[in-house]
Amino acid sequence: MIEESVVNTGGIQSAKEIIIKIEGLVKRFGKLEVLKGVNLEVKRKEAIVIIGPSGGGKSTLLRCVNKLEEYQGGKIYLDGVDIDQYDVNKLRTRIGMVFQQFNLFPHMNVLQNLILAPTKVKNMPENEAIEKAKALLSRVGLLDKIDAYPEQLSGGQKQRVAIARALMMEPEIMLFDEPTSALDPELVGEVLDVMKDLANSGMTMLVVTHEMGFATDVADRIVFISQGVIEEEGTPVEILKNPKKQRTKEFLRRILE
Amino acid sequence: MDAITELLKSFPFLLLGAWETLKLTAFSVGIGVILGTFIGMGRLSKVKFINYLCTAYVEFLRGTPLLVQISIVYFGLPQLGIQLAPYPAAITALGLNSGAYIAEIVRAGIQSIPRGQYEASRSLGLTHWQTMRYIILPQAFRNILPALGNEFITLTKDSSLASVIGVSELMRRGQFVISRTFQTFSIYFGIAFIYFLMTFVISRIVRYIERRMATA
Repeated sequence: MIEESVVNTGGIQSAKEIIIKIEGLVKRFGKLEVLKGVNLEVKRKEAIVIIGPSGGGKSTLLRCVNKLEEYQGGKIYLDGVDIDQYDVNKLRTRIGMVFQQFNLFPHMNVLQNLILAPTKVKNMPENEAIEKAKALLSRVGLLDKIDAYPEQLSGGQKQRVAIARALMMEPEIMLFDEPTSALDPELVGEVLDVMKDLANSGMTMLVVTHEMGFATDVADRIVFISQGVIEEEGTPVEILKNPKKQRTKEFLRRILE
Repeated sequence: MDAITELLKSFPFLLLGAWETLKLTAFSVGIGVILGTFIGMGRLSKVKFINYLCTAYVEFLRGTPLLVQISIVYFGLPQLGIQLAPYPAAITALGLNSGAYIAEIVRAGIQSIPRGQYEASRSLGLTHWQTMRYIILPQAFRNILPALGNEFITLTKDSSLASVIGVSELMRRGQFVISRTFQTFSIYFGIAFIYFLMTFVISRIVRYIERRMATA
C-alpha cells in the first residue's frame, strides 16, 4: 500500500541491496516462545540456507516472512517497508513458498494448479497463463505431466510442480520449508537440481533444509538457528568446516555422522 | 379386496403427490445447501460475532421440532405481517431447518481438508474467499456428498409434515383419499411404500455419483 514515504530501514546504508530485513522477531505459541528476537538480512539474489535442530524455529521464521504466522514482536521489512504496511495478498504474490507436504490441489490437474493463482489474483489472460505454465513445466522437466492429477505423480514430481506453481506468480523471493524432507531418498536429487537451477538464475531464496550437500554447493550464507535464536551465521565454509559455537558443532556432528 | 382396488384407483393421484414431495424436497435442499454453506463457514469464522450468530442459528433450529418451525412460519409470521402461501411456507421452513443440519455437515467437511491446502492457496496470494471457493469447498463437497445424500433422504421424509399446513404433497393426498375411502391401512401402507421407493432411488443416485467422483 505504501511505496516510499514510511520507509524505516534502521539507517542501513546499502538499503537497496537488502530485500528482506528481519529485526528482533519474536513469535510465541501461547506461552512457548519459539523465536526470541531474530535478526536477519537477506540481500537480493542471495541464497540462504537455514539449518538447525527441529523445534528450533526455522520453519516458523519462514512462515512469518509471508505472514502465514502472526508474530508478537519485532519487524520484517520488504524493500525497506514494514510488511504490515502491505496488503497481505499483494505481499504474498511477491513471496513464493514451497512446503514440505507439497500441498498441490488434488482436485485440479497440473495445469490447473499452475494457472489458478495468476488468472484469479493477477487477472492474467488464460492463454497467456497456459503458455507460461508450459514454459515453467519444461523448465522443471514435467511438461509431459501437464494433464496429470497430483495423485498420479511421484513425490519428487509433485514438489517440482509445486515449485513451478509458486514461480507462476513471478515472486522476488522463494521460501522453501524443508522441501525434500517428505521425499524418498532417491527422489531428493531431482528437486534439489531444480532449486540449484533457480539459485543460479539469481532467485533470492530462503531454504530450510537438512541437505548439507545442497547447503555447501548453493548457499551464499548458512544460518544456524537453535532454541529460537540465530546462533551463528556465515559462509558454508565458515559454518560447516569451522563452526565456532558449541551448539553448531554438536548439531553438525549429529547430522553428518 | 376393496382395499387393493381403492389403492390402485387412487395411485395416479398419490403419484402426483409424490412428485410434489420431490419438488418440495429439492427446493428445500437447494436452500439448505446455500444457507448451510455460508453458516457452516460462519461457524469457523474468527470473527466472534459471526461465529456466535451462526452457532445460535444451528443450535436453535436443531433444538426445536420441525413441526413447530413450520407452524411458526405458516401460522405465526402472518401476525407480523408476513403472509406466505402453504407451499412457499413449507419450502421456507424446511430450507431453514435443513440449512442448520447442512451447516454442520459443511463445517465438518471444511475441517476435513488439511490446513496445508488453505496455506498453499493463501501463500499464492488468493484471498480467503477465493481459497474457499476454488480450493476448500470443492474438496469439502466431494467429501461430504454421502452426508448430503442422507440429508436429502431425511428431508424427503420430513417434508410429509408440510401436510399439516395444506401442501398437497404425498402425505396430504393420502389423507385426502382416506377421508373418502376409509381404507386406512392400504393407503397409508401405499404411501409408505412410495416414500420408500423415493428414498431408495435417491440413495442409489447418491452412491452412483459418489463412485463416479471417486474415480474422477
